[in-house]
Amino acid sequence: MNVVSRGVKNAFRSPMRSGAIILMLAISIGLILSMLVARSSVNTKIDQVKSAAGTNITISPAGVFGFDGGGNNLTSTQVTQISKTAHIATTSATLSDQMAATDTNLTPSLTLGNFGARQARLDNSSSNSSGSTSTSSSSSANSEFASRPVPTPHTTVTGTTNPNSISTNGGSLSITSGKTIDGNSNSYVALVGKDLATKNNLVVGKTFTAYGGTVTVSGIYTTGNTFQDSGIIMPLATIQTLSGQSGEVSSVIATVDSSDNVNATVTSLKSTLGSKADIVSQTQQATDSVSSLQSISGLALTSVIGAAIAGSVIILLAMIMIVRERRREIGVIKAIGGTNKKVMAQFVAEALTITVVGSIVGLTLGILVSGPMTSSLVSNSQNSSSTQSSTRAAAGPGGALFRGGINRIGSNITQVTSSVTPGVFASAVAITLLIAIIGSAIPAWFIARISPAEVLRAE
Amino acid sequence: MLEVKNLSKTFNSPGGNVTALKDVNISIKTGEFASIIGNSGSGKSTLLSMLGALDTPTSGTIMVDDKDISKLSSKKQTVYRAKKIGFVFQQYNLIPNLSALENVMLALEFGGVSARKRKGKAEQLLNEVGIKPDEMLRKPYKLSGGQQQRVSIARALANHPSIILADEPTGNLDSETGKKIFDLLHSLSRSENTTILAVTHDMDIAGKTDRTFKLKDGKIIT
Ligand SMILES: Nc1ncnc2c1ncn2[C@@H]1O[C@H](COP(=O)(O)OP(=O)(O)OP(=O)(O)O)[C@@H](O)[C@H]1O
Ligand SMILES: [Mg+2]
Repeated sequence: MNVVSRGVKNAFRSPMRSGAIILMLAISIGLILSMLVARSSVNTKIDQVKSAAGTNITISPAGVFGFDGGGNNLTSTQVTQISKTAHIATTSATLSDQMAATDTNLTPSLTLGNFGARQARLDNSSSNSSGSTSTSSSSSANSEFASRPVPTPHTTVTGTTNPNSISTNGGSLSITSGKTIDGNSNSYVALVGKDLATKNNLVVGKTFTAYGGTVTVSGIYTTGNTFQDSGIIMPLATIQTLSGQSGEVSSVIATVDSSDNVNATVTSLKSTLGSKADIVSQTQQATDSVSSLQSISGLALTSVIGAAIAGSVIILLAMIMIVRERRREIGVIKAIGGTNKKVMAQFVAEALTITVVGSIVGLTLGILVSGPMTSSLVSNSQNSSSTQSSTRAAAGPGGALFRGGINRIGSNITQVTSSVTPGVFASAVAITLLIAIIGSAIPAWFIARISPAEVLRAE
Repeated sequence: MLEVKNLSKTFNSPGGNVTALKDVNISIKTGEFASIIGNSGSGKSTLLSMLGALDTPTSGTIMVDDKDISKLSSKKQTVYRAKKIGFVFQQYNLIPNLSALENVMLALEFGGVSARKRKGKAEQLLNEVGIKPDEMLRKPYKLSGGQQQRVSIARALANHPSIILADEPTGNLDSETGKKIFDLLHSLSRSENTTILAVTHDMDIAGKTDRTFKLKDGKIIT
């Protein structure tokens, strides 16, 4: 029998009470672990989303929201202003348009689905006032046009100074045959999407007509996105001339030299362009799309702190109760020659035993519930944010170019994988240890103050 | 040799100062069996707690084997209690969660006896005070008052103390059992040459000790 074994033995002196204390402690420790897991999983996701966001800023005409048109395209003056703004390294300007059957000899490769059909009707009803592209984004479009005739699909044509900006993954556009085009030229050349090329038997070197002009196929590209692969990419100037929208641009993507300067650049663009343009940065969008995750992360941290405090208070009160109850016993041990240190060590061993048993139960509990807990936290709070992100996704041509990327993030955002990493487990154990220390330090102080002379006092 | 000189103790309590001992002078030879009598509140327990270094006196000296124990640091007080003093209490004060054997082993541990030797020594001590082997493994609440007091005497003797301080050791026992306990203490003081100082209300018992001190209002009056 030594100090430690006496302490361990004392921990089970009244099994009912110890059981109750251990249960309460286990619940707090389980909560600590599962909340730590939720927090770290969510934070990992936030970092992923944020690092996936590049340094691009998209400038689109103001007032183009959804597919209601209303915005005037950006002018060449504005494009120049943008490219002259500090910290902007490169810009690529884009003008998107849709060719109806009368504009081209090509057969659209995209058959309109239910959703696409609604979009097309919507476009018709707004009389093609703007060069909107319809995309595969999820939209809050309503169906009040259901009575209109089924429209024919269009072929989307994009004029751009930088063909790579069409790439859905943020990298270079992948050309499957032929070569890319110079976006700054004004020659009648085009990159044709894989699906459209297949549909119309187009290969490199062949020609097709667009807006009355004859255009030569320079290359075939693929993005992996059915919608994009059914389109045509041409130099910006060519489209401006052909479609009669000289100098007009439907969106500009500006790349900022460093991610630190993105926010400052957005601010300065807003002051130069004023209310004429909507300016959205990828960083901004990523931040918006993870805001709900961030609140989960904050909530989880609050819960960890709360549960840690609760755990400490439980063990602290239990130990104070035990010390008070055994006041006389402590006095006797001191009277027969037990040192303060030994008595304290015995009680610390007792507190540790309770904490260890509590944490074994609690950590097991935590591992079991952390998965379901994390996903229920994420999916509950995600309902609100997905509505929010889908309205944003419909924000006209401006967002169209990197909308694909952000949408992928959006749909992935509920897929937070919760895993109990060694780091998280270690922090849970560390917090538990802290609880045990707090739980025994204050009682130890009480122990030191018990005078052995008290044992001679009648009870 | 135990020599107390001009010992005083004043308690500072919220209701005012209480002087429990006033200028006490006593001297007891090694191996002597002395008793203390006096009314309730006369300072008997206070005197024992000073002699056993459970508390420090306000003034005066307590010489035990030519060493003043009244001014020891609290660490040295603990060592002194472990090795030089054996306590026997009216309420026995055994550790409830430990068996009779473990209670005695605990005192041996504090006295610095190596872990291997504790069990054998404790069994021997319990045997000496008349505890049977099956009783040794029982927790205190499964022993009678007289048996518990025997265990506590074995615990007090564990480290061969110079002095055994007993505060009304027979106070909770019937007169016959009390007499047996007293005889046990008496014979041990003879065989081990241990000084015993026992507080008692029983004049029969007091009459059988080598010397009797009478306390009144914190003063020795004989
Ligand atoms: N810690 C203390 N604080 C304040 N006063 C105390 C303290 N301990 C003892 N006293 C007082 O000192 C006086 C002597 O007390 P003590 O316990 O020594 O008496 P006693 O002779 O042992 O009495 P009894 O026979 O009833 O046990 C009493 O008046 C008591 O109230
Ligand atoms: Mg008393």
